[in-house]
Amino acid sequence: MKKSIFILVMLPLLMLGCKGEKKLARYNEMYQQEPSVIYVAPLNDLSMRRAVRETEDSVYNASLNIASRQLYLTATDPLTSHGYYVLGPLASAQLAATETRTGRQLRNESINDLYTDLGIDAVLFIDLLNWSHTYNSWSVEAEYVLRSTTTGIELLHVHVNATKILPTDYKGNPKPLKDDLEFAKQYGCDLETAQRCRLVEIMNKYVLKDLPAGKRARKHEAEQYAKPHPEYFNLRIHRDGSVEQLKDEEL
Amino acid sequence: MRARHINSILLASVLLLAACSGRYIGTPRAAMLDYQTNSTYGSLYALATAQAESINAALKADTLHPGMYAEYGVALALMGHDGEACRMLNSEAKAFPESRRMVRRIKERLLPAMVDDTLAGQRDTADMLKLQNWAYDSLAALRPLPWVAAVIDSTDTLRVMQQTPVDSVEYPIRLTANQKRELLAEEQQKEELRRKEIEDSIAAAKQAKIDARNQAKIDKKKAKKEKEKAKKEAEKKKKEAAKEKARQRELEKQRKAEERKARQQQQKQQQELQKQQQKQQQEQQKQLQKQQQEQQKQQQELQKQQQEQQQQEQEEDKQ
Repeated sequence: MKKSIFILVMLPLLMLGCKGEKKLARYNEMYQQEPSVIYVAPLNDLSMRRAVRETEDSVYNASLNIASRQLYLTATDPLTSHGYYVLGPLASAQLAATETRTGRQLRNESINDLYTDLGIDAVLFIDLLNWSHTYNSWSVEAEYVLRSTTTGIELLHVHVNATKILPTDYKGNPKPLKDDLEFAKQYGCDLETAQRCRLVEIMNKYVLKDLPAGKRARKHEAEQYAKPHPEYFNLRIHRDGSVEQLKDEEL
Repeated sequence: MRARHINSILLASVLLLAACSGRYIGTPRAAMLDYQTNSTYGSLYALATAQAESINAALKADTLHPGMYAEYGVALALMGHDGEACRMLNSEAKAFPESRRMVRRIKERLLPAMVDDTLAGQRDTADMLKLQNWAYDSLAALRPLPWVAAVIDSTDTLRVMQQTPVDSVEYPIRLTANQKRELLAEEQQKEELRRKEIEDSIAAAKQAKIDARNQAKIDKKKAKKEKEKAKKEAEKKKKEAAKEKARQRELEKQRKAEERKARQQQQKQQQELQKQQQKQQQEQQKQLQKQQQEQQKQQQELQKQQQEQQQQEQEEDKQ
């Protein structure tokens, strides 16, 4: 009798413990404010470049520059497909050109005027922190912050470390993926740049798709009870393009 | 007046050259990356073309994304097509009313003379149809020859002149009427040739795309057929394996049934043997009992006889 009472008390507690946090709880402010217009601020590139000594260095630096641009350019697509109104990079650049404040000021000070003057509900800041590369893996570290223009609260703050691991042949040389080759062919760039560009594209999609769907999207309410991504996580991109979220030890 | 025309033709040829130098890239994103890394007039032209095509495709498929008109409008404004740019930006404001203030800010920066022209209000079907027509018109405006004509005729020439480096344009000085005519004829011929080249290259690219699509379709069909064949073979193998398994099971069942029968027969035989043995034993016991009983009777008779004899003897003695 005592055992059954103990089990009856503990089971619901365990079930509640296993349930985890829901999107409704994580993005509570977002669901309350329901932003519809998001402005993607210019990319804050904090990653290091090699000192130019040889021609290889400049090629490497150019590759990083193109990939960082791709990171900025591909940030709008997941948001628009998720039901938000986002201006494209060319138009956003025109808006950015009229901005007199620095990036740090935009991040820390009041940006209520962006709402009153331009009708922007939230601003997405992307910090590119680090690039790294081994013989068969490509990594990028970035931080995403979505700040409300009306309240100044951070609606999203995510730190991501995305890694793409390439398969190797019998000699141990990395084999390029089909998607990367197609990207390089379509965009007319080298394979190294293509791999970095694809990596940031997938990372953008994975991170920004986690945001609650915009109020115009069909799944706006249905998504409330889905499990959100953690605030700090690692990604591993597989050969077939699928993405896996890992713990720190697994990477 | 004629000198102005020659100047404008020269400018148009320079712009065409710039446009030709830009690598034509299909998707707007690829063109955008190209423009971001290599911001020339040619790459901007390629970007605008790609954006116009994507808008056209989106309107046909009814999948217009926010920001498409604005991007195209900004590209046109940067190229110097103020009128078209204004129309595109207005259509963005019309299609997505939440963008109205942002569009106004962009216009303040790029088209300060047309800020008051910004559209407002809710969109309806008639407006959307108008937008569609505008998109088609703008596409037509981007085609090489009318575009050149537009550059020559429009007041944008001054703007283009401001944007083009002065060193790149050579101004003819003191030309006779015949020389001017010859120059004009030569330029026209050159323009026609370039236009043909561009059209041919576009047609070739389209044909290549179509061929690639067809090839892809054929490959897909082949792959499908192969897959189906493989599936059928796999199914056949599975069926055969299942049949064999069923046969084996039946054989095992039969074998087991035979074994059971044999066991049952053996058991029956054993039982019969046991019964026979028991009967024999019982008969033997009965016979023995009978014999014993007979012996006992005989003994009793003997005893009786002896007793009688004794009695007789006793009587005789008495007598």
